[in-house]
Amino acid sequence: MHFPRALYIARRLPLQTRCFASVSPNAVGPYQIFDRNAKISQKNRAVTKKDGQSSRTVDYVRDEVADRMMERLEDIKRKFATIVDLGSGSGHFTRLLDSETTKKSIMIDSSEKALYRDPCSEFEVQVERIHADEENLLRTLEPNSQEAIVSCLSLHWINDLPGILVQIKEALKPDGLFLGAMFGGETLFELRTSLQLAEIDREGGISPHVSPMTETQDVSNLLGRAGFTLLTVDVDEVKVAYPSMWELMEDLRDMGESNAILGRRHFIHRDTLAAASAIYKELHGNEDGTIPATFQVIFMIGWKPAPSQPKPLERGSGKTNLKEVL
Amino acid sequence: MTSSTVQSTRPLQRLAIHSTSTCATQARTYGKCILATYTDVRKDACKDEFAKFGQCLRDAMKRKW
Repeated sequence: MHFPRALYIARRLPLQTRCFASVSPNAVGPYQIFDRNAKISQKNRAVTKKDGQSSRTVDYVRDEVADRMMERLEDIKRKFATIVDLGSGSGHFTRLLDSETTKKSIMIDSSEKALYRDPCSEFEVQVERIHADEENLLRTLEPNSQEAIVSCLSLHWINDLPGILVQIKEALKPDGLFLGAMFGGETLFELRTSLQLAEIDREGGISPHVSPMTETQDVSNLLGRAGFTLLTVDVDEVKVAYPSMWELMEDLRDMGESNAILGRRHFIHRDTLAAASAIYKELHGNEDGTIPATFQVIFMIGWKPAPSQPKPLERGSGKTNLKEVL
Repeated sequence: MTSSTVQSTRPLQRLAIHSTSTCATQARTYGKCILATYTDVRKDACKDEFAKFGQCLRDAMKRKW
């Protein structure tokens, strides 16, 4: 029996539905890593699940990091008329703002459901919510218009990190403050390694499950490149213990932090999952039978340059000989 | 509510329970095997250990795959 040639070829080549994280020859602009639309629907879905109840249960990581970020804001002796909370989610950071130092917070997030999860009565300061894409900040904010922009755990889903930092700097007034917290490269390394080992052993290859994340040393370079001055970058860790890998993955999903890498596999074989769970426990498990998950957080502070800021003196202008002092 | 009705009906939940408690022994053996070879792991490095773990899971789930 003879098949027509076209049909034969069609049978040999199954329809390709995977999308790859690569630069197409027609693409303009920065490298795309994350599927922003998938991220938005994941977040919306996470927040609407059980009427927001499961989303509130998994606020612990964000609340903890927002709290530590607040400590850094309190060190800055300044009063703000408005603060922009970029990628605010449900306003974990805005909730901690104090009406004595801040009058108003503008929350910006691309997930509408997350943005409106909590009523205004939950916040001490006045809030304005703007549903907009974080990646195109300058479409939402005027250049040179803001006193302070903060971002608590949202920058790790931005495709063009150097670009967003430049936009933040542009949106700030001179001597404006940028305070950010983002997940660093060590985040969820246990999950990453377990899934990789399981995939190699079971299927013979690896695919992306945990996002690539920024290393600490790169953050200060990026801030400098974007034109911020007086930089402060520091690293902190939040370690959480879970009964097993399954609870960790469930909580990540409820946080809206599921995998959204372009070219991800939409499916993991149950053998691979079971294998990963066994490996996670043996390789990283705590003595009491629980498993740890590390969230590495990079805190960054940068200021938009202004003539009023202290600057280093010109080279060679020193009058005192350091030899005499020391 | 009896203990049998507490058992979750969601397949993934059941897989989670069986892989961490019902088949914990097999899971530990498999994990130990990977732990011993994780610097040079390759496909089917722990095939035999996983076969036992997988069989236990299939029996517990009462399904074949």
